[in-house]
Amino acid sequence: MLEIKDLNASINDKLILKGLNISIKPGELHAIMGPNGSGKSTLANVLSGKEGYNISGELNYLGKSLNEISIDERAQKGIFLAFQYPTEIPGVNTSNFLRTSLNKVRKAQGKKEIDALSFLKLIKEKTTELGMDEKMLTRQLNVGFSGGEKKKNEILQMKILDPNLIILDETDSGLDIDALRIVADGVNSSRDNKKSFLVITHYQRLLNFIKPDFVHVLSNGKIVKSGNKELAIQLEKTGYKGIN
Amino acid sequence: MLNFKINSNEIDKIGKFTKEEKYFRLKNLNHFNDIGFPNKRNEDWKFSDLKEIVSKNFNKLELKLEKSKKPKIDFIKDFEHNYIVIINGELTYSDFKYEEKDKIKLQPFINEDYSDSKKHNPLLNLNHALSDKGYFLDVKENYKFKKVLVIYHLFTEDLDENILNSKNKIKIGKNSELHFLEFTINESKKNFFNNVYEDIILEKSAALKSIYLQNDKSFGYFHKYSRNSLSSDSNYTSFIFPTGHKFNKLDLEFNLEGERSECNLQSASFLDDNVHQEVKTRVNHLFPNCKSYQKVKNVLNAESKGVYQGKIFVKDVAQKTDAYQLSKAILLSELSEFDSKPELEIYADDVKCSHGSTSGNLDKDSIYYLMTRGLTKKESTKLLVNGFLNEVVDSIKSNSIRNFVKNKLENQFINEY
Repeated sequence: MLEIKDLNASINDKLILKGLNISIKPGELHAIMGPNGSGKSTLANVLSGKEGYNISGELNYLGKSLNEISIDERAQKGIFLAFQYPTEIPGVNTSNFLRTSLNKVRKAQGKKEIDALSFLKLIKEKTTELGMDEKMLTRQLNVGFSGGEKKKNEILQMKILDPNLIILDETDSGLDIDALRIVADGVNSSRDNKKSFLVITHYQRLLNFIKPDFVHVLSNGKIVKSGNKELAIQLEKTGYKGIN
Repeated sequence: MLNFKINSNEIDKIGKFTKEEKYFRLKNLNHFNDIGFPNKRNEDWKFSDLKEIVSKNFNKLELKLEKSKKPKIDFIKDFEHNYIVIINGELTYSDFKYEEKDKIKLQPFINEDYSDSKKHNPLLNLNHALSDKGYFLDVKENYKFKKVLVIYHLFTEDLDENILNSKNKIKIGKNSELHFLEFTINESKKNFFNNVYEDIILEKSAALKSIYLQNDKSFGYFHKYSRNSLSSDSNYTSFIFPTGHKFNKLDLEFNLEGERSECNLQSASFLDDNVHQEVKTRVNHLFPNCKSYQKVKNVLNAESKGVYQGKIFVKDVAQKTDAYQLSKAILLSELSEFDSKPELEIYADDVKCSHGSTSGNLDKDSIYYLMTRGLTKKESTKLLVNGFLNEVVDSIKSNSIRNFVKNKLENQFINEY
């Protein structure tokens, strides 16, 4: 699904990712943990195609290089980034936005645009699944949403767009235990043998709810240690300092 | 450089006038001839050098205009309405089929106020000197319109470097209410100049809602001076969507002349090409306990230029004034320009007055977020611009009219981007 080889990324002449390697197969869920400033969010941004980074190394998705692929095309090809801080967008109705987004993705994948009725049905199903109030979708996109609502909205978009590769950037930050459980359930119920996940997190806490197949420790722009979920538990005890 | 001086015999060509009116017209004509079109040395015109704009774009300005044949109007079908049809500034016909006829008086406008002959705005002087058309709508006391009134302004194909001077007046009687939509339809293909003087009077407890909207683009150069007088407990809400002309300056004065009167002005524009547009307001709080609210939003593309000059004046006796003013502009192009000059002049000590002005690029993070959901950069920009402007449209209460306005705006301007 995703193959990263010797990835270097710098922004404003500052090197942040320094030879990062990772390989994710279909159906796998990988967790990346690391201290502040280790390059976690940069990795998420680079995968989404965000502009402003100077990149070298290989970035292959479904066997093809992502180097020349723009942000929107990556989304259309099934890469989804759940934001750490979802942007508030005044004047844009959440439900209209979701439908526009879904139709863009469907069109790019050669599917027919979804009609209003089927869309409403889909929304109803997914919001119920996530324990969300449907009324939220009549509001402006993320405007005035609580931290929990914003994250749930990200998971809702993930569910609706049905991507192949899902990157969760610190989706657990700022969530209370109930919201965390809902978000985790949302991820768990989406897991199957085709989808791949890259879960970026500070804390081991999220990994009590979402069980990773692999855990990697990112430090100073590199993966310094990889293992299974036991590694996350060990990290919680020793801290990142104990790794090196 | 176009030398636009007008011979005094042009006044005689308009018609026969009383001595008093002739003197008024002549005096104003002399003022205009002395100064000509205003340039940027005039503080009120510092961002809109009309002298330069006119001489760049006009070879002549023709006063004479043959009466057009009655053109066919494409009436709005989206909602039931009364209508007035104005062709090239001239009151042509009307239909108040939903209303009680004896509550409404409509006639061609005859100016009887000869007091204003000061040298201030040369375009006003020009209008006073030469205005020969317009309408006067008089709504009697205690009458609420049952349906909205649409004022169709049609500009015909035969306009060619003409200058039109018209005067309009709307009076809403005590306890009466009117909602109107000013809707401009353009069939002209060439440059013309439209110079309008407008007088709006709200008597005690009167209510007025107005929307100003263009159906299509024109090569028109528009200037409107609007004087709005609000008596006690009256309420005026005005939505303006002024985009569509090559040049447009709206000079709006609101006089809160009675206690507890309120005015609310909201504007949204998408400026493209080399359009030049200015909204200038002056809100005079002259009595206590009055409220005013202004929100002006502009999106600028290509080489367009937008201007907002907004002044709030609070007289010493106007205690408990609540005045608000906000200007927001988004610049999509490096060649576009937006100038904003907010001003407060306050002589009372117990007032709430606030103003704000922002201008900048579209938020990069918002575009990034939308693109990660599969929208192209252009689609993301469109969605954000629409959202920015729709905030104003969404304040229109009537569903059918709001949707009508929304569709018009989206079709005309946003889709061109």
